[in-house]
Amino acid sequence: MSFELINVSSFLIQKQAVDKVVKCNDFTLRFGLSLSRKDALELVKTRTRTLKEYGRIEYGGGVIDKIIKAFCDSPYIYQHNYVETLHELIKIFYFYKNETLDLISDDELIKFMKNSFDGKCQGSLELLSGRELDKMARNLRAGYPLEYGEDTDCKEEKDEDGEY
Amino acid sequence: MENIEKRPLIDRNKLRGEFYYNSLLQEAYSCGLLDESDLENIQFQCIGLLADKTEKYNIGESSSIKVELAENIMKSNLYTIGLYLKTLPDPDRAAVELKTVKIAELYERGRKLVNARFQIAKGIYNLVQRNKLVTPNHSYNLTLGEKGIGIFFKAYDPEYEAHEFPASIDYQLCNPVEDLAGVEFIQKYLENLYLENEFCLIFKAENIHHLLYGYDKGYADLLINIFEQVLTAALGCSLANRNIRELGITQEDLRSLYIKLLKHDNPDLMLIIHQAMEEMFAELKIRNPSLRSYIERSLPNIASGIKNALKLNTLDKVFIIPVNPDLEPKIKFESGVKMDDEEYRRLIEELLRCRYSSDKLALIKEKVKSFDDLEDILLDTQLGEEEFVSLLNTLGDMEIAVMIKRHPFQSPIQAVDLSEAEHIIRLYLEKYVHQLPSERREKIFHMAKHLIQD
Repeated sequence: MSFELINVSSFLIQKQAVDKVVKCNDFTLRFGLSLSRKDALELVKTRTRTLKEYGRIEYGGGVIDKIIKAFCDSPYIYQHNYVETLHELIKIFYFYKNETLDLISDDELIKFMKNSFDGKCQGSLELLSGRELDKMARNLRAGYPLEYGEDTDCKEEKDEDGEY
Repeated sequence: MENIEKRPLIDRNKLRGEFYYNSLLQEAYSCGLLDESDLENIQFQCIGLLADKTEKYNIGESSSIKVELAENIMKSNLYTIGLYLKTLPDPDRAAVELKTVKIAELYERGRKLVNARFQIAKGIYNLVQRNKLVTPNHSYNLTLGEKGIGIFFKAYDPEYEAHEFPASIDYQLCNPVEDLAGVEFIQKYLENLYLENEFCLIFKAENIHHLLYGYDKGYADLLINIFEQVLTAALGCSLANRNIRELGITQEDLRSLYIKLLKHDNPDLMLIIHQAMEEMFAELKIRNPSLRSYIERSLPNIASGIKNALKLNTLDKVFIIPVNPDLEPKIKFESGVKMDDEEYRRLIEELLRCRYSSDKLALIKEKVKSFDDLEDILLDTQLGEEEFVSLLNTLGDMEIAVMIKRHPFQSPIQAVDLSEAEHIIRLYLEKYVHQLPSERREKIFHMAKHLIQD
């Protein structure tokens, strides 16, 4: 049986996923953020495209709602960049699921993304994807803790120049 | 009328053992036992099962997995379901079960069977360990060892990779296991191997050794099937009215067999071979029906070998004449006492200082009294080709034979692990031997063949 059969039920799965994303508005409205049904559908499509691009398969509502709930209180997300940021976060999430060789759970990865986005990256998706997550993935693959190397990097810089 | 059995709609021969579920689904659909809505329903349930299994796989920590992994889990699920469906009386009934019973339930029934089969395979593995042959054949010993099939019982994952058989199996059976996968493959392989061992154990290990030695002196390194050789030899003995247990056929027997068999056409020949097999069963008191049927299944292959050999007059390639290695003439070479290290070091230094080849040769001739020392010098001083040839010219046939024995010519791939000095020695030696007159060369090779290694 090939994976073509997944198309049989894809419409149903997509509808369920869109409903689940739209339902997140109940939670995010208090932060002044909301998604239209069309936005939700586009997000689900981005998820499907990204999954295909990175050779992954997902069941159920997936992680979009988890990402929304985790990032909606970010000081760097407003209604005007909300949808765009979510699209990017979804792509980044699946890319790093592969890069971390599935060694990290969905919740842990989202938590790390949120902390870095609000913290060191100060709302920059480029820094999040190109620096923080890249470093974290390398650490994981090498068997180190997620944040390994940050203190040592700082110390080295300080030691060489006598200042930061 | 009550005794008339209903003929199944699905042709069992069209179903594949390895992909039973898929082929059953296809056949059931083309026979009309399942319609499109049934297929959709079954497929939908399969996805549901896959979703459950992936969730279990990820321990609920991840909602997505890589496609290859999902495909593997799906294959494992379908294999497990197929294993259960195979146990049903006929494929039509299996199609009905697919339609009426939930996929998750079919999977659970299959899963129990996988576990049971695993235990059965383990039991047969233990039996095979007990009836293992005493043979120097590496592929046989490695396959039966802990690092061969033994791996399977540690690494098999019935939950997510039920269709795989993680084991290192190099030893080829006379009747290879085809169209099976996972635990079924291992079980069948072990069953066949057990029967092959049972048959070979009728004969003395020594007789089998002589037979295989007659087939090839280096049989320990060959990927051969021991049972096939033994069975062919036993049939040959039966045909030649020799003692089957001895497996000892002679050149004389082969000549008379050739004359006897050549007269018959194909069906007759098959009949004669079959008759020889029956005689063999009687003489060896083979009563085990499984073993008898296994031997019978092996017969067509052996018979076609005999037919071809008769056409080409190469019966000696099919019926092997045993050779007892202990009775072969042997030459033992004494190398002489090696000089002490200090003296050897001085000699090497002196040799390296020599400007002319003639001086080097004179020095070697004067100081070296042992063959082992000479070999060391060849390795340590790295003489040029001309010097090497001049040195070999001073040696007798026996010494050159010993050199060949100790530094055999090998293909570049085989010689890949050799040191550069060793490689050069072999290269020069090969060149030197090939330019010798053919008569002398043959004599040297003959000597090398009968030399015993220290």
